[in-house]
Amino acid sequence: MSATDRPDVPAPAVDRALDALAAEAPPNLPELSAVLEAELASIAPVSPRRPIRQLGMFVAASLVYAGLLLAFLSLRADLSGLPMAWILGAGIAWFTGFSLATYFALVPARGTMRPRWRAALAITAVTSIAFIALGLDMHPSVPGVSLDYGMPRLLHGHGCLWLGLATALVPVVLGAIFLRGAVPVFSRWIAATLGAAGGCLGGLLLHMHCRIADGPHIGIIHGGVVVVAAALAALLVPRATDRPFK
Amino acid sequence: MADPRELMQRYQAGDASAFRELYALVAPRMLGYLNKLAKSRAVADDLLQQTFLKIHRARGAYVVGADPLPWFYSIAHRTFLDEARKTSRAVVRAGGDDLPEVPAGITGESADRADEPRADPELAKAALEALADLPTQQREAVVLTKLEGKSVAEAAAIAGTSVGAMKVRAHRGYEALRRLLGKKPKTATGEAA
Repeated sequence: MSATDRPDVPAPAVDRALDALAAEAPPNLPELSAVLEAELASIAPVSPRRPIRQLGMFVAASLVYAGLLLAFLSLRADLSGLPMAWILGAGIAWFTGFSLATYFALVPARGTMRPRWRAALAITAVTSIAFIALGLDMHPSVPGVSLDYGMPRLLHGHGCLWLGLATALVPVVLGAIFLRGAVPVFSRWIAATLGAAGGCLGGLLLHMHCRIADGPHIGIIHGGVVVVAAALAALLVPRATDRPFK
Repeated sequence: MADPRELMQRYQAGDASAFRELYALVAPRMLGYLNKLAKSRAVADDLLQQTFLKIHRARGAYVVGADPLPWFYSIAHRTFLDEARKTSRAVVRAGGDDLPEVPAGITGESADRADEPRADPELAKAALEALADLPTQQREAVVLTKLEGKSVAEAAAIAGTSVGAMKVRAHRGYEALRRLLGKKPKTATGEAA
C-alpha cells in the first residue's frame, strides 16, 4: 500500500501528537538585540492612548474644521426655501454616519485593544450605500434658486467631490495619527472606516453648502464622497498606522 | 505572577525593568508560537526580536487596562507574515536542530507546566514536522487554537480574520494533520507499528 493509500490517523492520535508538542518546554529566550537594548537605555515615558479622549478631540477638531470651511464657502442659497424636516433629517443622518464611523474606528471594546472591525466594516458599507440611495431618492429643490444638472451634466458637479474629499482630509489624517501603532491587523478596514467618517463629514458640509439639488448629483457625487474617501483611506492610511510595525 | 497590564503601565511610564519582566513573562510563549510558524529556530529568534522592537516603538498605542497579549500576538503574526513575504516564502525547513530546546532556567517554563510529565519527544517531533507541511494559514490556525490554547475568537482577532474563517482554517489544518501523520510511520503517532 502506498503512503497516500494509508488511512488518516484517528483523531485521538493527532490530539496526542499535538498535546506532546504543546507540552514541550518553551525554547530558551535569545538575548535582547543591541538595537532594543540601546532604545531601552534611553527609554522615555509615553502617554497611553485614551480612545474616548481621542474621540472627543477628533469630533471637535473635525467639526471646527468643517465649520471654518463652511464659513469660508457660505451656506447654500436655497436653504430658506427647503423643507426644514429634510434639512435637519439629512443633516442628522450625515452627522450620525460621521459619529458612528469615528466611534467604531477609534474606540476598541472595553478591556481590549482590538478594533471593532466588524462594526466598522458594517458602518462603512451602510454609509457608502445609504447616502447614495437616499440622495438619489430624496432631493427637494427650490425652483429658480436650486440648480438642476441632471445625469447629462453630472460631471459638471465634480467640484463637490473634491470639496468633500478636502473636508475628509483632516479627520482622516487625525485618525491616522491617533491609531498609529494600535492596529497591527485589520488596519485596512479601520482605515476605510476613518475614510467613511471623513466622507460623511464632507457630505454634511456639502448638504449645507451646495445648491445643486438633482438626484444624480446628491446621490452619486455627495454620496460618492463617502465611497471615494473610504477607498482612498484604505489605500493610503495603513502606510501611516502600520509604520511602527514595518 | 505579575500582571501584564500593570507591567505595560510601568513600561509606558518609562520603567525599562518592567519591559524586561514583561519580556520574561510573555516571550517564551511567543517564541514557541513563532518557532512553530517559522519552522526555524533562527528565524523565530529574529522574528521575536523584531516583534519586541515593534512593541517598544508602538508602546504609546497601548490602552490602559486592556490585555496587551492579543496585541503582542497580532504584532508577532504581522511580523511573521511581513518577513515571509519579504523572503518570498523561502523559510528554512525545520530540521532536528530546530526542535524546541530543553529549558535553561532564567526565563524558564511557565509555572503551570512545571509539574507536568515530560512530553514524548518522538511524538512532538512528528507533530512539528507534520505541522511544517501545512499551508501558512492552516498552520497558524492549528498553532493558535490547539497549541497556544486560544479560543477561535481570540485566534481570529490575532490573525486579523473572521471567526468563521478561523474555524475553517483550524478544521482544515487539523484534517490535513491527520492525513500527514497517517503518512508517517505508525510509531510516530503513538500507534502500534
